[in-house]
Amino acid sequence: MAELTTSRPLPVVKAPSSQEALPAHVRSHASGGRDLWTDPLPERPDDPDAALLELLHEVLDPELPISLVDLGLIYGARVEDDVAHIRLTFTATACPCMEFIREDIRDRLTREHWIDAVRIQEVWDPPWTRDMISERGRRRLRELGVGV
Amino acid sequence: MTETAEGLKAESTEVQTAFRRLVLGLADTKRLLGIRYSDWLLGAPSIEGGIATSSMAQDEWGHARLLYAALKDFGDDPVALEHQRDAADYASWDPLDHPLPDWAHLIAAVVIVDGALALALEGILEGGYEPLGGRIGKMLGEEEFHQALGKAWFQRLATGEGEGHAHLQEAVEAMLGPTVRCMAPGDDAHERLADRGLILPSSTLRHRLAKRLDPLLERVGASVPTEARLDNGWDPRRGRGTGHPEEEAVERARGDRNRALFVE
Repeated sequence: MAELTTSRPLPVVKAPSSQEALPAHVRSHASGGRDLWTDPLPERPDDPDAALLELLHEVLDPELPISLVDLGLIYGARVEDDVAHIRLTFTATACPCMEFIREDIRDRLTREHWIDAVRIQEVWDPPWTRDMISERGRRRLRELGVGV
Repeated sequence: MTETAEGLKAESTEVQTAFRRLVLGLADTKRLLGIRYSDWLLGAPSIEGGIATSSMAQDEWGHARLLYAALKDFGDDPVALEHQRDAADYASWDPLDHPLPDWAHLIAAVVIVDGALALALEGILEGGYEPLGGRIGKMLGEEEFHQALGKAWFQRLATGEGEGHAHLQEAVEAMLGPTVRCMAPGDDAHERLADRGLILPSSTLRHRLAKRLDPLLERVGASVPTEARLDNGWDPRRGRGTGHPEEEAVERARGDRNRALFVE
């Protein structure tokens, strides 16, 4: 069989790797986005409830690179006697990531010295729908080509 | 009316036992239905059909888990219920005791068994038992997709005149009576709950199921029976026939093969 040759050098495409081309929140592969988590707050915040919600903004859904808050899974978050009380729902009754999500929430919140424990109450009412995704969440999903 | 777990505990033992039987029966049926759906992940007439059974199986297992968890209020250990019971203790509905032999049976199970399960859940929702009411809305939302798929396929098979039509007819004939009997038995336990307003009476459930399914069922010459027969092998303790699901399915339901890897 004749050897196939070419007199023309093959073009070299110089482009960022697919990973580099993606925003940081998309590149994060550590469970719950933990490689992007901020350092614990140095002091107890003046408004613990608001601070709690900010922390939950750092916890990403394991399957979609947007936060649990933006995905609309957090139905309530408050701090009482240094215990974080979270009302959490899931996108589906058999969400395969339930345990990861619970673990990521606990791990992120207990890094804070002003949170001693985390109590998660799972709720299904009102049922989660895609309408509960925040505008910021929708924007980020659109960046990835996910229509919502 | 809203009924709390505490309120139900103040009811008679008979009422509590009847309610536990109802919830366990629904949980076990959903668990078995998930297994029967999963049997068709590979082997459906189309790849889309197979993927649909995968999603529906996942939903059914999620619903089963929520229902098992609700039985904690009756003193049950949900982990033991899910992983440590013999086949003879399962309260799943009779039509799921054996694998569904063909796609027509699978579709009949979606429309009849899954449809009747959804109706039974609606009946509980109307009864106002709060610990379950908060979960049922989500379940029913997921069930809408099952019914959409089931009805589309049912019409498709029923419209044809070949083997598909005959298999569907056979499947409906085999499933309809036993399913209606489990959903709306009209026995003492069921009517006790209905009298208490916790669920709908059997006659109402059968009437509603007929209204929903008869337009489809008439395409294969069937209709929802107006009465349930309890004189031929009825187990009042489990609220189903006297048989039980075959061992292989229960081994899968319990997760026997991966018992060493439990994380619960």
